[in-house]
Amino acid sequence: MSKNTQLFTEEQIDFLREMMNIGAGNAATALQQLLQCPIDLIIPRVHVLPAAQVSSILDNPASLVACVRMGMVGDIDGAMFFIVPEEYTKKLISIAEKAQLGISKLPGQKHEEGDFSAVVEIGNILSGVYLTAIHDFCGLNIYHTIPVLAIDMIQPLLDEALVKTSFQIQTAIAVENELVVEEHHIRTLLLIIPSPESIKPMIDALGQAKKAYGSA
Amino acid sequence: MAQRNITITMGEGAVTNAPQIISSQGIGSCVVVTIYDRFKKMGGMAHIMLPDSNSANGRGSPYHYADTAIVTLLGKLYSRGALLQDIVAKMAGGAQMFICSNGSGPGIGKQNISSVRRILGRERIPLSGEEVGGSYGRNVEFYLDSGKVIVTTAGKKEDVEL
Repeated sequence: MSKNTQLFTEEQIDFLREMMNIGAGNAATALQQLLQCPIDLIIPRVHVLPAAQVSSILDNPASLVACVRMGMVGDIDGAMFFIVPEEYTKKLISIAEKAQLGISKLPGQKHEEGDFSAVVEIGNILSGVYLTAIHDFCGLNIYHTIPVLAIDMIQPLLDEALVKTSFQIQTAIAVENELVVEEHHIRTLLLIIPSPESIKPMIDALGQAKKAYGSA
Repeated sequence: MAQRNITITMGEGAVTNAPQIISSQGIGSCVVVTIYDRFKKMGGMAHIMLPDSNSANGRGSPYHYADTAIVTLLGKLYSRGALLQDIVAKMAGGAQMFICSNGSGPGIGKQNISSVRRILGRERIPLSGEEVGGSYGRNVEFYLDSGKVIVTTAGKKEDVEL
């Protein structure tokens, strides 16, 4: 059995990058409305790699990240994660607080999780925007499910999404989203991890879309 | 003189001797099991993802599943001369990282912990240390010269030596 984890061809990955870049434009608009301040959104990189190696994208895989997990259902199923490394979370939360974003703390809710509700909202919105971009380009209907938050090292946070089909190597599409707000650069990561059964429909849809849009 | 460090990730295992160190990082719901022969100073470590290979119809590496992982490690150790009476096991991991709502019964972390406990019991391997459960990620280092297992977190808990 070949250990080939590169399920997407280079061409398909380039097309994914194009889709994500366009999604980024819409994401910037959506976040500007949410955070009520000018936002630039840069996509420095789109990675396609084995899900078990996602931690290698971070500068320090052992460091803490805030992680919003959502399920994906529809034409593709699987999981999505919105990740903000701890060094950037304070800035993001203070920007959100200025916009009075975020639910007020619920009774019994731990202090830090109340503050992070803004991170959850941002993750929710970004996911929606990118899934819409995928729909517009590939015709795939994908919905994300209720977000949940945890703060820890990145790899353990991905475990549960990966373990059920552990005998198959799962591929992650990792989109770095750098939010530029005033002079702050806030690096975040959006992960799309399709279930193994969803990879083929995804590749087929990318293939169809490429035919429709052609090469540049 | 640097000690050689073997790193394993999910679904992998390794067997070696002193003075090497086997480590694994970023353990969530998975369970890392170490098995050590104190006299021969040899041992193995597996990073287990699921409790039971019967769910898989034989697919995947033996180290993915608690039952096949432990049996595989034991097989390798016995074939290298390890003796049952000298062997001890330790385990770490099995967390539930997200507080949520799958609703139906114990999460995969708890299932992995129970399965490891049960299989070790069946194989008559004493479990001499454990750092399991909770809702935080762990890193494990297994020192083959002493059998010591150090479990660290990203600031969620003090380091534990098993």
